Amino acid sequence: MTHPWPIAITGLGCICAAGTNLDDCMETLYSGRRAPAAPTRFTSSHPTRYPVFEVSGFNEPPELLRTSALGLHAVRDALADAGLDLETLRGLRVGVCVGTTVGSAMNNEQFCRDYRAGLDPDLEPIERIMRSNPAAVIAREFGLTGPCQTVVNACASGTDAVGLAASWIRGGVCDVAIAGGADELGRITYNGFISLMITDDSPCKPFDRNRKGLNLGEGAAMLVLESEETRTKRRSRARSYLLGYGSACDAHHLTAPKPDGEGLRYAIAEAFSCCGISAEAVSFVNAHGTGTPDNDRVESLVLADLLPGVPFLSTKGYTGHTLGAAGAIEAVFTIACLERGMIPGSAGFSTPDPDLGGTPVEGSTKVEGMVALSESLAFGGNNSVILLGTRGAA
Amino acid sequence: MMRIAVKGIGVTGGFGCGVADLAAALKGGISRVSEITVPSAQGPLQMPAFRAETERLDEFVPKRALRRIDHYSKMGLLGAYLALADGGMLGSDLSRLGVVVASGYGATATTFAFLDSIIGDGDICASPTHFANSVHNSAAANISIMLGAKGPSLTVSQFDMSVPSALVSASQWLAEGRVDAVLFGAIDEVSDLIGYLQHRQRGPQRACPISPLSTGEESSIIGEGAAFLLLTRKDDSLAYCTIETVDTGSLYQEELSFPDDALLLLGADGRRELGARYRATVPGHSRVACYTSIYGSMPAAAAFDLAAAALILQNGRVYPIPGAAGCDMDGIPVPLETTRICALKLAGINEYAAVTLSRLQLP
Amino acid sequence: MDIKNKLKKILVEDLNLEELTPEQIDDNAPLFGEGLGLDSLDAVELVVLVQKHFGIEIKDMEEGRTAFQSVNALAAYIEGRLAQ
Repeated sequence: MTHPWPIAITGLGCICAAGTNLDDCMETLYSGRRAPAAPTRFTSSHPTRYPVFEVSGFNEPPELLRTSALGLHAVRDALADAGLDLETLRGLRVGVCVGTTVGSAMNNEQFCRDYRAGLDPDLEPIERIMRSNPAAVIAREFGLTGPCQTVVNACASGTDAVGLAASWIRGGVCDVAIAGGADELGRITYNGFISLMITDDSPCKPFDRNRKGLNLGEGAAMLVLESEETRTKRRSRARSYLLGYGSACDAHHLTAPKPDGEGLRYAIAEAFSCCGISAEAVSFVNAHGTGTPDNDRVESLVLADLLPGVPFLSTKGYTGHTLGAAGAIEAVFTIACLERGMIPGSAGFSTPDPDLGGTPVEGSTKVEGMVALSESLAFGGNNSVILLGTRGAA
Repeated sequence: MMRIAVKGIGVTGGFGCGVADLAAALKGGISRVSEITVPSAQGPLQMPAFRAETERLDEFVPKRALRRIDHYSKMGLLGAYLALADGGMLGSDLSRLGVVVASGYGATATTFAFLDSIIGDGDICASPTHFANSVHNSAAANISIMLGAKGPSLTVSQFDMSVPSALVSASQWLAEGRVDAVLFGAIDEVSDLIGYLQHRQRGPQRACPISPLSTGEESSIIGEGAAFLLLTRKDDSLAYCTIETVDTGSLYQEELSFPDDALLLLGADGRRELGARYRATVPGHSRVACYTSIYGSMPAAAAFDLAAAALILQNGRVYPIPGAAGCDMDGIPVPLETTRICALKLAGINEYAAVTLSRLQLP
Repeated sequence: MDIKNKLKKILVEDLNLEELTPEQIDDNAPLFGEGLGLDSLDAVELVVLVQKHFGIEIKDMEEGRTAFQSVNALAAYIEGRLAQ
């Protein structure tokens, strides 16, 4: 049993450096504001201070990882948006599919330091990780009975989680799926990305000739996906539609994208094939656009080839690269932009790069049409693409 | 759910390497427990552990190609190659193959090696190679790169429920026709961290077999390894068995029910509290089996259970429960034959998964 | 041990070039592509190794590209930086 595409999206929630809810985020994006700064929540002995996009004014409870707490925050907004209260949820089979990079990793620096120093460290940091699996935390908090999946496809996790949740709905695995991504900033990823020499020591400049790399960010976004039977039964409105999902692996290199973007091309083609949508129908592309020399080159060349003339932007100039959350945050932004018929300028871009396939939009730009594409490229050569549409697109 | 065929099995673990070694260990009820030494505040700790070897990778990959690949990914690679070879797909066109990897804890040794690089020499000496290999999807990436598999790739980390959770998505890929086959596997690794946590959380280790179903006793022994299954949509060709249903989620008031004719293959692994939950969940009249004492306690053990179930269903004969004395569940006899198995995985206070597998109906 | 020999030992041991001995590495052979066959991930690892073993920070890959031509080039780069 496989239900046809598209899949209705009935709720959205988002928290990142641009704002603690979706409306605030969009206001920040359209105003062009961004304020990456040196990390305040942790220190580093690195001689250069690399700016990051922290979520300010958000404190996680001591028993949970910040990642999972950010995820819960976004879920609450998404459920409220979908009009799903605890009682309604209890009568449905609800699955949870969440992308992350650090949310399920047995990675606690202080524990490791103490252990290596010959101490018997307190187990609480490890126990906190064990009780903070991002998908399981959400299921537990809301008493959900369906499958739980924490997707760890590196920087494509958020996009994949949304696409996989759609396939669960299509297969009748659950009535409703909460899907998205969550990740927190920390010393491990901070030092890791600096060591790969793909981190910019100034605010990131996606698709710009002088781009030097990414800035890290943190946050979470969640989408509520719903089967048509459930929607009919509870008379909920579709805020948007997921019109397609595609993913493919470059099978090329652990950390570098394939120069010809082969995997990305396959992923885009697969996403288009789901609803039989053509490139002409796409009004804009929310690109991965990390600001690293390699990513932006490959991505822009593929876009120039497959979606020539379609406006594109990266919102990472406003949020930083939120890793496992990025695909979900960008999916939510994409829907909000479609609803408003307007995309923000691609922050950080000023100088065109002749080696790229094109230039992103500068300043808020009106867009027409009902369909947009959001894409993620990740470590390991994972490429994931989703097509999103307005209510009228289905 | 659409039915899925298990076409190939690739395993490495404490019992040895390859499907023949697993079958022999299941038949004989014995496995090889090694001893590892883990640093601790009290000095080096000796503890039992099931270790997996990866020497046989040489049959498939030039050594040079492995220079940057850690033990965790090597186990996965070996499992992947063995499953493809067993399923007769090695060297075939893999453009319509998906790769799905489930891991409870990921590459914990490399994760710690990355932290060591910072702790030892400061933030400026953070190792990019360790960082890249500590990312959870490194094994799936290495498998795709080595095989040239350009289909979808997914890595799931849901602690003890990683395997059944990942199987939900793998099944949908096949049902949707996104892929024609899925290389589905699980990997977990024994490392200083896993050994040390076992000691801290479970106490001193006794050198006696895992007694998964005995009451009140802690008898878990950590394990490592990789178990891969080559899955396709059910067709007329030969296979080990079919996977009929995959059901996973959390229980609140509901009770689980199981097909009457199914042997329940329990994922109990000697952890005391888990054993108690199995005893409370499994109905009194059930027919049960449990083989974790062949491969050890680890989240990936759920994939070894699926491999064991596939072997049982292939020949219809149920293997005896190893160390049956410790496994006696209120004197329930283990049947000699079965045509249906329900692999039951429980975790935490209310998480569950039931995967039903059936013997192939021969024409 | 002179810088060149130390570098060769580092290359073999820390980049796991197991099938080579330090003596087998040609002073002028390119480290990347043909030659030793290193790649972009080795390049950033080499930056860290130079920091760790010689206390020299290579700030970006523009700088690295020249230094990483060969063992000879890297040794000359390190000597130059140490003399500063």
